[in-house]
Amino acid sequence: MECALDAQSLISISLRKIHSSRTQRGGIKLHKNLLVSYVLRNARQLYLSERYAELYRRQQQQQQQQPPHHQHQHLAYAAPGMPASAADFGPLQLGGGGDAEAREPAARHQLHQLHQLHQLHLQQQLHQHQHPAPRGCAAAAGAPAGGAGALSELPGCAALQPPHGAPHRGQPLEPLQPGPAPLPLPLPPAPAALCPRDPRAPAACSAPSAPPGAAPPAATASPPASPAPASSPGFYRGAYPAPSDFGVHCSSQTTVLDLDTHVVTTVENGYLHQDCCASAHCPCCGQGAPGPGLASAAGCKRKYYPGQEEEDDDEEDAGELGAEPPGGAPFAPCKRARFEDFCPDSSPDASNISNLISIFGSGFSGLVSRQPDSSEQPPPLNGQLCAKQALASLGAWTRAIVAF
Amino acid sequence: DEGQGGSDARVTGAELRFCKHRLESNPRADIISTVEFNHTGELLATGDKGGRVVIFQREPESKNAPHSQGEYDVYSTFQSHEPEFDYLKSLEIEEKINKIKWLPQQNAAHSLLSTNDKTIKLWKITERDKRPEGYNLKDEEGKLKDLSTVTSLQVPVLKPMDLMVEVSPRRIFANGHTYHINSISVNSDCETYMSADDLRINLWHLAITDRSFNIVDIKPANMEDLTEVITASEFHPHHCNLFVYSSSKGSLRLCDMRAAALCDKHSKLFEEPEDPSNRSFFSEIISSVSDVKFSHSGRYMLTRDYLTVKVWDLNMEARPIETYQVHDYLRSKLCSLYENDCIFDKFECAWNGSDSVIMTGAYNNFFRMFDRNTKRDVTLEASRESSKPRAVLKPRRVCVGGKRRRDDISVDSLDFTKKILHTAWHPAENIIAIAATNNLYIFQDKVNSEMH
Repeated sequence: MECALDAQSLISISLRKIHSSRTQRGGIKLHKNLLVSYVLRNARQLYLSERYAELYRRQQQQQQQQPPHHQHQHLAYAAPGMPASAADFGPLQLGGGGDAEAREPAARHQLHQLHQLHQLHLQQQLHQHQHPAPRGCAAAAGAPAGGAGALSELPGCAALQPPHGAPHRGQPLEPLQPGPAPLPLPLPPAPAALCPRDPRAPAACSAPSAPPGAAPPAATASPPASPAPASSPGFYRGAYPAPSDFGVHCSSQTTVLDLDTHVVTTVENGYLHQDCCASAHCPCCGQGAPGPGLASAAGCKRKYYPGQEEEDDDEEDAGELGAEPPGGAPFAPCKRARFEDFCPDSSPDASNISNLISIFGSGFSGLVSRQPDSSEQPPPLNGQLCAKQALASLGAWTRAIVAF
Repeated sequence: DEGQGGSDARVTGAELRFCKHRLESNPRADIISTVEFNHTGELLATGDKGGRVVIFQREPESKNAPHSQGEYDVYSTFQSHEPEFDYLKSLEIEEKINKIKWLPQQNAAHSLLSTNDKTIKLWKITERDKRPEGYNLKDEEGKLKDLSTVTSLQVPVLKPMDLMVEVSPRRIFANGHTYHINSISVNSDCETYMSADDLRINLWHLAITDRSFNIVDIKPANMEDLTEVITASEFHPHHCNLFVYSSSKGSLRLCDMRAAALCDKHSKLFEEPEDPSNRSFFSEIISSVSDVKFSHSGRYMLTRDYLTVKVWDLNMEARPIETYQVHDYLRSKLCSLYENDCIFDKFECAWNGSDSVIMTGAYNNFFRMFDRNTKRDVTLEASRESSKPRAVLKPRRVCVGGKRRRDDISVDSLDFTKKILHTAWHPAENIIAIAATNNLYIFQDKVNSEMH
């Protein structure tokens, strides 16, 4: 079924309904609000998957600006099952089947795949910076010249075989398991941040001295570790560095994306990487200072971890939207933290939606809670709930429903 | 295709007689919110948003005027519920009557239960058509006589008077529910009844108001885990231990009170797997069951969700035995129906007395009937324009593209503010009561007045 409204409008309408129900005569209608919350979740899924697809597309466009010898990296992104365009993400279409697993929306599945893909590449990127002696980083020779080529390193470095071999994941592109790093949402940060030209980069990877546009040797063509072509699942499986590869410190590395500012932050066991690496004992960092890739990220401590909330949702909505692949014990940033660091960007609607998506990741009780507060001003019904108001009342909303 | 039923369908040869609900100065107060025949069909009760109950009585058939046989006239009107305020929660409690259920008649008086969101009341309706006259101690106006003037004794005599219907509240069952009551149902034992809100079902004794037993509780320990609510419930018509309740997820649970004191664990679970090709943003909303009714035989259940009515066999849990599309043309319009809140409308459904025909309401003041035996269906309209006295209702048709006939209505010209949520069918005869906003229509099938 095609909906005349896009996900964002549906979210906005739904929030308006929930808010107006709080002032309706007779009190909150539990049934109606529950149904509206289902629509909210459905729309949110689609919205998120559309955003990721957009970002993914943007990334691809950056790639296409690279010299042709980096074409193989496009293949790297062509993970099996990855949709060619955002259009494949929605409207919600379920694969067949009657059980909860089978009913998981295809968009969501693709979202997982996206997560996998980005996480993989970003980790490899960071890996490259942190490990002074890359294992056969032949890609270094093929280091891209342009700043935007930050990611072009990845397939080469993706070839890095973990010292003791990558554990077999069983299925292609399933969420990072079993480690404690579940669904991160990496996005390649500003190219400059992870420019391989960074002097800290391992010597072998310091080919970036080549001028932009230079065509590095095609040594990057075939990652040694991968037996299969880039597009096969085996490529990722084999190349996926085991959590233990990063050493004790970084055994649960999580890279998070802020949808508003598109800043990537890597978090290690709950700590920002620069904190971890500041320790002289960190084995994974050649220097005691954070890599440049993190320098810019460190500037903003905002963390967005929608993967976490999606897991929470599924724990809460048992069987409602299909089972989330188990993610172990993920690092859970405090959900409230992102609200305190609210930095409005130029697009108030987008930031409203992003933040409100975060809010309602906290489950149904985040939606309905009677506030006996007659002095409360109703929100301006100008099409979008004011994010600040929504945030201000967040604490009220999460109060338990027992009083109702 | 909609509205196929032709004139040979029994129920479409309906002669019209409508009785209009009394209008009050507050236009909002008389939107009819529930309609219910009593067990003989002699009385018809309606409740409205203003908390009032109006009871209609069927006139006895008169040989002198055969055409006016069996018409319903107003019998009694009373204020059942008033708006209340819960100071603890700062909540206003609406006076709207959600449900009325008649008690089986056990003496000359009639009794019914009426409920709003929080409180159930038992009303006793009695008639007075005689008045005692000739008191010794008081005069005709009721003033005490001067004893010195009393010289003889007389026995007071009952003299006929104009019929007076008196209604009095006999019981008030309050404080039993935290959430909004959506259904009440009288047990076949005629001693107990149940009331259901979003999360709990309570069992009451009709004579005891200060306590009730909780028999179903689906409230999760953590409200964040809430995934479904109770939407309707009903006792089995014959087995006093069985009842069913429906959920917002589209499932039915049959519970046996003999099994345990708390019937959280169902005896049977009726649910149909969702069709994945129909998945949309609004799948959860349109699968929510808005009404459930046992058939008179007790063998089947009838459920209504937003787009369909389904007949379930108590012996088969896997899926309904029959599914009827009420207005499938709305499936592509769910988005706008969500915007204007129509998608949350709770339509009721009804069996006829012989369980051969089922009826439910729709939009544009249309209502639909489905004959289970012939598989014919018909769409009829409850409107003043099309209702001349004794005119046969003409079947209507909603065209969804393709060939359009002259009197067809297109989907886009349907009036979604005119919705028929509440309908009732006489227990024995082909008489139906249709509530269209603030008007009550009563239709009778003169051609086939006996139920087949």
